Amino acid sequence: MALKLTVENVDAGYRAVRALHGVSLDIVQGETVALLGTNGNGKSTLMKCIMGMVRPTGGAVTLELDGQRHDLTRLSTEEIVNLGVSMVPEGRRLFPKLTVEENLLLGAFRALARGEITKNLAYSYEMFPALKERRRQLAGSMSGGQQQMLAIARALMSAPKLLLVDEPSVGLAPILVSHTITAIKELKQRYGLTVLMAEQNFHQAVRIADRGYIIVHGEIVFDGRSVAALEQNDLVKSYYLGT
Amino acid sequence: MIFSFQLLFEAILFGILLGCFYAAVSIGLSVAFGLLDVPHVAHPAVLILGAYCTYLLGSYGWDPIVAGLALMPLFFLFGIALYRFYYETFEKRGTDAGVRGLAFFFGIAFIIEVGLILAFGVDQRLVEAEYIGKSLSFGEMRIPLRMLLAFAIALVLTAALTLYLSKTFTGRAIKAVAQDEAALRLMGADPVRIKQWAFGIATGVTALTGALLIIIGPVEPMLDRVYIGRTFCVVVLAGLGSMTGTLAAGLILGISESIVLMHFGASWAPAVAFGLLLVVLGIRPQGLFGR
Repeated sequence: MALKLTVENVDAGYRAVRALHGVSLDIVQGETVALLGTNGNGKSTLMKCIMGMVRPTGGAVTLELDGQRHDLTRLSTEEIVNLGVSMVPEGRRLFPKLTVEENLLLGAFRALARGEITKNLAYSYEMFPALKERRRQLAGSMSGGQQQMLAIARALMSAPKLLLVDEPSVGLAPILVSHTITAIKELKQRYGLTVLMAEQNFHQAVRIADRGYIIVHGEIVFDGRSVAALEQNDLVKSYYLGT
Repeated sequence: MIFSFQLLFEAILFGILLGCFYAAVSIGLSVAFGLLDVPHVAHPAVLILGAYCTYLLGSYGWDPIVAGLALMPLFFLFGIALYRFYYETFEKRGTDAGVRGLAFFFGIAFIIEVGLILAFGVDQRLVEAEYIGKSLSFGEMRIPLRMLLAFAIALVLTAALTLYLSKTFTGRAIKAVAQDEAALRLMGADPVRIKQWAFGIATGVTALTGALLIIIGPVEPMLDRVYIGRTFCVVVLAGLGSMTGTLAAGLILGISESIVLMHFGASWAPAVAFGLLLVVLGIRPQGLFGR
């Protein structure tokens, strides 16, 4: 197995508030795994723990890559990005006063991505033609849907092996959510990515996910090994399917 | 007051040259304050320090421009050390970094000023070079060669920094760092190292423009106080962090000062910078060329 991310028994929080309690999950090369849960249940905190943006107070986050084990709790965000992990953060976090193209080029900051910059930029524009038309426009002046496309394209400019996507659907019209999810699927196939996606929108998430976890109040309450298993789950039924 | 087109024309021409000089001495601040959000009120003091270092090398027979260029790497390192010190003692510690940073840089400015007074005394100092006293004549007008030098250096610095900021990975990261540090980390860049590097560049450039300052005219240790208003006016007028904007804003200040100087007298000229600043902040708070 060339790539495996393991989260074991992770606790994390913000001062007195504990956001994660003994969370464990794993994801192996080529999978698309959904992290399902409504707002405030710890999805983003977990994503940030993986990226080194929030330090867990307990537990382990390990990335196995080509036979080497990396303890992500000891690495800085930059070092984790340099291993080939990229995140589309919650709220997109674009550089609003830079142009679309400058945002994309910044995505390729890490040394390994610089060599592939021409290819990846061309592909970003092919995938999202609106970005090409607007490449000289300031990122902050675009619509929410276009900004989401830019955030995804920017994450891919770093030529990642593992892509984390935090709530791609937030603030988007339903049709755009559908486009975004489809785009992630296409990109995954094209780049051979491994994807971990935090999402509230169950129906959209399971369109592309192989399997998923349900997180409630900072705990993994269900480990669905397949989409079918998820759809059979009582929690999912009551929260999302209305049955 | 007698109005004459000849006089106005001369005022504008001189203003353009003066404006380029103002842009050149402000460009380091445009990086440090405009792009990095560091309240670098010691910038003019560093400028005067550059002028005195040029004077010192000049006393060993160095040409001032050569001295300015040679000082750039030293000032670059000084800038890195200064930012690191500022970061460790102030910026890292939190939310009121802006206000406390202001106190920090006022302190640095004061130390430089006093240091220069102790080392060189309060008298004016100047440098000598082949090109300093000469001028070019066009009909009745004479353009001092040293002003043309300021013009050329301003253009070269603006072009070089604009290219650096837009064409290199580090340059683009410098433009992004104040907008969202966490997002920059997600691009794989360390914001502190990026800021440190950029502050080094800003300080290095200021060594050369310090040399320019003492070429344009004599300096004394307290001259930085005059330049606080001018340099901040140029940077804010430009729209924070725009290099071409800095050149344009320098020109606006230079031309305005020059017209006021010729038509209303020298005592009004220092007020121009603040007047312009107030008007621009009232009408267009993001600056004339801000994004």
